[in-house]
Parts: sequence; structure tokens; C-alpha cells
Amino acid sequence: MRTTAIALLVCALIAALIAGCGGSSSPTGGSSGGGTNITVWEGYTSAEATEIKALAQQFNATHHGITVTVQSDGNNDYALQKVLAAIAGGNPPDIAYLYGSWAANIATNPNVVTINHLIAADPSFHWQDFWPAARLAATVNGKIVGVPALIDNLALVYNKRLFARAHLATPTANWTWSQFQNAAEKLTNPSAKQFGWAYVNDGSEDTVWRFWAMLWQAGGSILTPNGRQAAFDSPAGVHALSFLQTLAHRNATYLDNGNGSYLGLFNSGHIGMLWTGPWDLSQIITSKVPYGVEILPAALNHQTISGPDNWVMFNNGKARSAASWTFLKWLMSPAIDLKWSIATGDLPMRRSVIAQPGYATFTKRYPGIDNWVKNLSNAVQARPTITAYPKISPIVGQAVQSVLLGRATPQQALSQAASQVNALLAAPGG
Amino acid sequence: MTLERFPPLPAHGAPGRRRLPFSPWHLFLAPVAAVMLVPLVWMVIVSLETEQQAQSFPPVLIPSGLHFSNYPAAWNAEPFANFFLNSALYAGAAMIGNLVFCSLAGYAFARIRFFGSNVLFVVFLATLMVPFQVLLIPTFLIVKDMGLIDSVGGLIMPNLCSAFGVFMLRQFFRTLPIELEEAARIDGTSRLGILVKIVLPLSMPALATLGIIQFVWSWNDFLWPLIIINTTTHAPIQLGLTTLQGAHNTQWNLVMAGTVMSLIPMLALFLLAQRWFIRSVAFTGIK
Amino acid sequence: MSAPATTLPSPRRQRVGAWRRIVTSEHLAGWLFVTPAAILIGVFAIVPIGWSLLLSFQSNNLLAPPHFIGLANYRALLHDPTFRQSIVHTVIYTVLFVPISVFGGLALAVALNRKIRFIRFYRLAVFVSLVTSTVATGFLFLWLLDPTFGLVNYALSLVGLPQQQFLQDPSQALYCIVAMTVWGWLGFDVIIYLAALQGVPADLLEAAEIDGASRFQTFRTIIVPLLGPTTLFLVVWSTINALQLFDEIYVTTRGGPLGSTTVIVYYLYQQAFQFFAAGYGAAIAYVLFVAILVITLIQLWLGRRRVYYTS
Repeated sequence: MRTTAIALLVCALIAALIAGCGGSSSPTGGSSGGGTNITVWEGYTSAEATEIKALAQQFNATHHGITVTVQSDGNNDYALQKVLAAIAGGNPPDIAYLYGSWAANIATNPNVVTINHLIAADPSFHWQDFWPAARLAATVNGKIVGVPALIDNLALVYNKRLFARAHLATPTANWTWSQFQNAAEKLTNPSAKQFGWAYVNDGSEDTVWRFWAMLWQAGGSILTPNGRQAAFDSPAGVHALSFLQTLAHRNATYLDNGNGSYLGLFNSGHIGMLWTGPWDLSQIITSKVPYGVEILPAALNHQTISGPDNWVMFNNGKARSAASWTFLKWLMSPAIDLKWSIATGDLPMRRSVIAQPGYATFTKRYPGIDNWVKNLSNAVQARPTITAYPKISPIVGQAVQSVLLGRATPQQALSQAASQVNALLAAPGG
Repeated sequence: MTLERFPPLPAHGAPGRRRLPFSPWHLFLAPVAAVMLVPLVWMVIVSLETEQQAQSFPPVLIPSGLHFSNYPAAWNAEPFANFFLNSALYAGAAMIGNLVFCSLAGYAFARIRFFGSNVLFVVFLATLMVPFQVLLIPTFLIVKDMGLIDSVGGLIMPNLCSAFGVFMLRQFFRTLPIELEEAARIDGTSRLGILVKIVLPLSMPALATLGIIQFVWSWNDFLWPLIIINTTTHAPIQLGLTTLQGAHNTQWNLVMAGTVMSLIPMLALFLLAQRWFIRSVAFTGIK
Repeated sequence: MSAPATTLPSPRRQRVGAWRRIVTSEHLAGWLFVTPAAILIGVFAIVPIGWSLLLSFQSNNLLAPPHFIGLANYRALLHDPTFRQSIVHTVIYTVLFVPISVFGGLALAVALNRKIRFIRFYRLAVFVSLVTSTVATGFLFLWLLDPTFGLVNYALSLVGLPQQQFLQDPSQALYCIVAMTVWGWLGFDVIIYLAALQGVPADLLEAAEIDGASRFQTFRTIIVPLLGPTTLFLVVWSTINALQLFDEIYVTTRGGPLGSTTVIVYYLYQQAFQFFAAGYGAAIAYVLFVAILVITLIQLWLGRRRVYYTS
């Protein structure tokens, strides 16, 4: 009896294995008799996920000879592990959506397709039409290693109702830091658990890149022009970090732990102002909070920071690389890019999209989005696309965090971070 | 010699001392159970909210209405039927594999003196000591060489036998009185016969526990499926749920509806398996 | 049975006899039983572990062709202050987590091992915490412990205690993680102890009761020793697990604030998948591996001398 039971279990196990093996090694691409198959890996969700699949279908219908298969790699945060595993296994996807901050390191892989020559050979691609920040994020040491896939920037989003209640004039394009600070303090009401502003304080790149925006606004820069030493511990850097410290100490700032609760709080009227990007806009609109969008306030300038991401192509043979280039050219063409923006709320990748006839649909569907588009001209600097950047980020992140938690003065924190970064940059290799 | 397994303790203490109409243990267990259930209650509440309420912070604890429509919406948003089937195959096979192979090996380590057993046991244990983050890429390469990428078979193979189960069953088998096995041995029963006819029936609680644990681990596994599954219809449930979760825009109400749905099979399995966890197995000697 | 031999068997018979002894011997049986597990574990665990050892001797970002650098990664670890910090954090965490969860699990299992009404419901409630995904638990705790909007600070304010920063405070965050993981893992210890409690023979308990032992004495002198192998198992397993803490950190604090919750495996993950230094990450894993192995062997050795087995 027992033996029979065990035998049955083992049979069930074998059956499961056989059933499970049924879907083995689905093709990650190749040339079949009818044309070339390419795979695109993306970590989109909701509107973006739906749209990319729709666009792929549209492409497949109109481009006989190429079949694009879009596969989700879970979530863009996890994409790197999966792509690294695929590369180690010798068959990466043909195209993968990868964060811009990874570009310099991804570019060390010999199978990454550098597209300088493809761009030169095809003037209709119009590389200069892409925003400067996007082009910078796709370029590593002069080599263009990806096609820009996404661009955004930080702008000032505010709650109109809270401003009205506090009898404050709403932000303008000429706002200064002191006006911003004044508003933040006036909008703070501890007994009502209301904060004037929010800052992400988890020590990650989310903490750092907001600080970079403030650094640039104060006239500073991240590294020296030759890229060998830290430059963020300059007086401009101390000025920027002190400003941040003041805002935090006056309890005017909700310190978010990195899990995005600031957005829910803004939408429920607990936070007066945010520095955020278009990715939060759809939720803000859904929540029906009365909001306005403006460019960031200035110390010396109104600079902002952008976080572009790339479509990276991997070389799986001539036919597939050519097919991938064809697909990406089509996907990022002005007409299709506008279609994408309208469906998802992402900013257009090209300047020429603004002149397209359907552009008004885009700005109408996402009120305030045109401020972010205008703000792109304030994104004149970018984070250095060097392989050491992922290690620089947590060093600066901890410096900012230590000041916000009251454990160091801005000068101390930045000096210490700068010496660590200098040691890092001086070390050979990585 | 009869051997009665320990039945659960009676509910009351010495007669005459009881003052409450119910067992005093409820005073301890009820609050503990309430605390333990908080995550589940919260998940169910969020799963019944609108998207806007679900994204609110602080969380909305009393939804405006009970939006049961989130459940069919989540089901239709992604191929949940596939997710459940894939997870069931994966977790089921891993559970059965572990029960079979870990019983064999655990019994050998517990009762058989064979050359190199101590070393081998330590080697088995050692495989638990390297974090999977380090092992995921070489495991991927091995599974790829087997041609099992993007398949449920690829999910199952590395999880068919774990040193955890071997260790656990070895410890458990050692708590069984050896006299029964010795008697059977003298009677000429083979080692395998002893395992199957004597040891395993006495070990139902441990086997049920190992089965449940392995099932839950495989059901909740996220990282390994992420690495080897490419096609959405081949994904198990935790991987499938991440498609509802964005870096910036997560539809928490749908995610929670999906998560609650994914919990139901495990809770059902646990309730079923309780028969084997806690069962008075009266054993009245050798046949 | 043949007549007793009065002469030694011939050499040929000796060899055949010896062979027969080996074939029917314990050794062969043992190895046969162990072989399926050994093959599976060998292929899917030992081989990857070996591969990772090789990786630790390389400068490798999993993208560019790697180069062999010998022990350079290990030497760098000796001078790495973040690594030293991560060791401290991991040890503090383990020393707190293991006793609390194991003995808490025992207490709860004993409480759940009785026939009262709703007992199935109570057991299910404890099991639910085991089944809830780390992401959901992490998210829940982030909200409960939010300094401004969390329920815990709200409760503290009701009784007049000052507000705490919890996961945003470098000196409190690690302890909050201990609480969160104890909650998550208690169910695991409970169900294993519950299974083990089924193996305590009733006649021993009856004898003790007849002898006049109190419930607590019975617990201490009979039940606890009989649960010895299970306790050893849970202590060893919980230690191995605690020293490899990662998931709960990843979904809540991500190693912060100010690195106060950076534990060894989280640091390893950062090296491999954020800093593109997989070789260095593998070296960290190996140092951890050796440490866990030594600690486990010590625990098993101590267990051998103090744990009562019925055999």
C-alpha cells in the first residue's frame, strides 16, 4: 500500500517534469524561413507595458520579414540581474531596456552594438533631434551605445489648494531658493501632519540626483572637467547641502524612506510641494488633487536633472542586429514616439515631436506635462557616464543622508565624501 | 510494547481550578493570532479598494466600498490561470521530489553507518551556506545546458532536492525509537522496507511539515523564476504579480487581489495537511 | 544453516565471501540511499559553488572578459571598512534573531499543541505569517513604523511616549528588522516544533504525572530534552539563515539608513549587481561561507555532546 503510494508519487513527479519540459528553450530569436525574429526585453508596467506590445504588433504587421517578440523581464529594477545572466549564458536578448546609470558598465560588454556608424549612415535618423541629456546618457567615451528610450526631469509640482489656504502666491518660473524655502515653511503644519516639501532620504541614487540638481543650481559640478576628482565639495556644494539641511531642520520636509510614500501623501494633501517627474503624474491626476507644475527654483540658475534610459542592442549576428536597428529606428521615429507619449504620458524623446500635429492631444491629456517638456532645456548637465558612477552614488548618498539625519555638517559630509570619491577614481580598474 | 504518540494536551489544568468558561489559553492565543493575521487582513482590505485609495498614504483602512471587481480585473489583466498552473507544477514537483529524495538520504544519515557519511553530510549542509545571489548565474548556465530555459522544468530541476530537507528529516528520524527498526531488521526486512513500512508512517508530521515548507518556498519563489523565465505564460505566480508592480506606478489594489488569490491554495493545503501534522498515530507493534 | 566449518574457507571462497559482505553491507545501502540526493545536490549546488569560487579569484563584472587576479579580492576585503561593518551588523542581527525566534517558536508551538476550540484557526493564523510574501510584509512594516504616519508611533503617542524614527534611525533600524523577521519566521519554527511535539510519547508524560511532576517540570525535564534534535536543527538552520539575511533588507531599508542595516549578503549583492564587481561579491560569499561552516560545525559538535537521541 505504502509502496504503491510512493510509486504513484514518483510517477506524478516524472509526469510533472515531462509536462514542465514542454516549453523548453523557446526561441530567443533567430532566422526562420519567413524572416528574422528578434526579442526585446522590457520591464514596463501598466500603460507602458500595454503600449509596447501594441506597437510591436503594429510593427510586425507592417514590416514583413521581421518579427519582434516583446518579453517582460519582471520589472526594470530587476532587469540587470536577468540580462547579466543571459549574457553569461551566451544568448542575450537582441534589445534590452536598461537604466542610463548602467550604460557605462554595460558598454564594457563586447557584444553591445555601438551605433555611431549606423547613425552616420542614416541621416534620416536625425540623432541631433534627441534631447541633449538623452544623447549624453547614451554616449560612453564618445561611443553611442544605445538608442534613447526614456527621458524625464525633475520639476516642481505643488498643491494649489494648500497654497490658497496659506494665502501664498503660487510658484513662478522666476522663483528663487528663498521664495521656495519661505513657501515650504509656510506650508508646514506639524499638528496637521502637513509638510511643505518632501525629499527622498534613502541614501540611494534617488537621494543623490536631487542633490545634484541643487548643486548645479548653485553653480557647482559633480566632477572636475578632466573627470579625475570630485568637485562637489566646493562652496557651491556646501551652499546647496546647507539649503537642504535648513529645509529639513525646520521640519518643512517629509523624509521619504525610498518607498514612494511621498506621492500618496501629496495626493492626500499632506505635502505642499514635490520635486518630481512625469512618472508620478498619472497617479496625481487620478487622485484629483488640484496641482500645478513649474520649473525648479533657482539659486544661480534653474537647472534640472534628467534620468534618461536606453534601448541597448546586443549583437546576435548580422541579420538580427540589422532587424533590431530597423525596429528601434521605427520605434523612436517622431510619429511613433508621439503615439507612445500620448498613450503613456512619457515625455517625447525628440524635439521635433513638439511640432507634430497631434502634440496638443498629449498636452491636453496630461495637464502640466508641457512644463516638463519645457524644462528639458534646463537639463544641460548630466551625471558622468563613467563606470565608477554606481560606486560614487552611495558615497554621496550617505553624505546627504548624514546631514539630513543631523549627524554631520554639510562641509564635513561633503569633504569626507570627496576624499572617498577621489580614492575611488584614483584606483586602477574597478 | 505499545507506543502511543502524544495526543494534544487536554484543555484544562487541575480540576476545580478553572474560573473562566473557556480555556485560559485563549487569552494568549487569540491576541497572538490577531497580530499574526494583520498582514492578511490588510492585504484583503487593500484588494477591495479603488486604485486611488490603494495608492494612498497613509493607507485607507476603511474602503468606500467593497470592490470585488478587483479580483476578476486582476485575473484578466494577466494570464493568472497560467501563473497558477505553473506554480502548482513547480511547487508540487519540488515538494514531491524533496519528500522522496530527502527521506532516502535523511534515513541513510540517521540510521545507516556508511563510509564517508559524516563528510557527505557536512558537504550537504555546506550547500546551504552560500547565498543564492551568488549561485544564480552558474545555476542558470547549468539549466541552460540542459535546454530547460524558459520552462517549468527549468524551475523544478534545481529544487528537486535540498539539503534542508535532508537535515530536517535526519534529525527527525533520529528521534524515533530504534527498537522497532531493529526488530524489523532481525526479521529480515530490507532497509528500504523499514523506511517505507515503519519509519515513514511514524513520520507523517515531519513529512507533512517538510512538504508544506517546500511547497510554500517554491510557491513564493521569485528570484529564480525571474532569471530563467522569459515568456509571461510560463511564469509562476510571484513573477507574474511583478508585472502589476511598477517602479513608480503600482496598482496596489490589483496586486493585493492577485496576492490574496495566490495565498488561497497554500492556506487550503495547510488546512488539509493539518490532519497529518497533528494526528494521534497509535502504533500497536510490528505486523 | 550449514554445519560449523572446521577448516578455514579456501582463498577463493574468502574473496567471494568478502565481496558478498560488501554488497550486502551497510556501506552500499547507505550510498544507494544517498545517491539521488547527492546527484541533485551535487549538480545544482556543488557545481555552482565551485564556479563561484573561481569567480572570486577574478576581476569580473559579468560583462567584459574577466581577468584572473588570484587572492586580490580577499586581500581587499581585509581592508574594507564597509565589509567589517556588515559583519558587525550581521552578527548583532543573528545573535538577537536566533534565540528569540527559536524559543518564541517553542513557546507558541506548545501553546498550539492542544485541543481547544478554534485551535485550527489559531494555527492557521500563525501559518499565515509564514506564507505572506516578504514584499507584502516589508511594505506593511514600512507603514506601521513610519515616523509620522505609522500606527506604532500613534500608539506610542497615546501612552505619552516620544515618537521614534524606527527604520529611519540608524541606531534603531536593525532592531526593527529583527522584529520584522521574527514575525515573519515565527510560523516556521512553530510548525516544525508542532511536528516534533507529536513525537513525544504519551506514556512518559503519564509516568511523570503519576510521579507528581508539575506541568512545568514535565516540560523542562521530558519534553525539552526530547525536542533536542529539533531544537538543534532549528538553531543551526536559523543561524545559517540569519547570517544570510537579505530579502527583508532589500524590500525595506536597502542597507540604510547610513548603512546601518547593511548586512553581509546585502553588501555582496550591491557589489555584484550595483557596482558591477561580481568577483568581489563572490569573495565576500566565500568568506561568509567559511564562517557559517565553522559556526555550524561548532554547533553540531556541541549538539552531539548535549542533545539526547533515542538511538
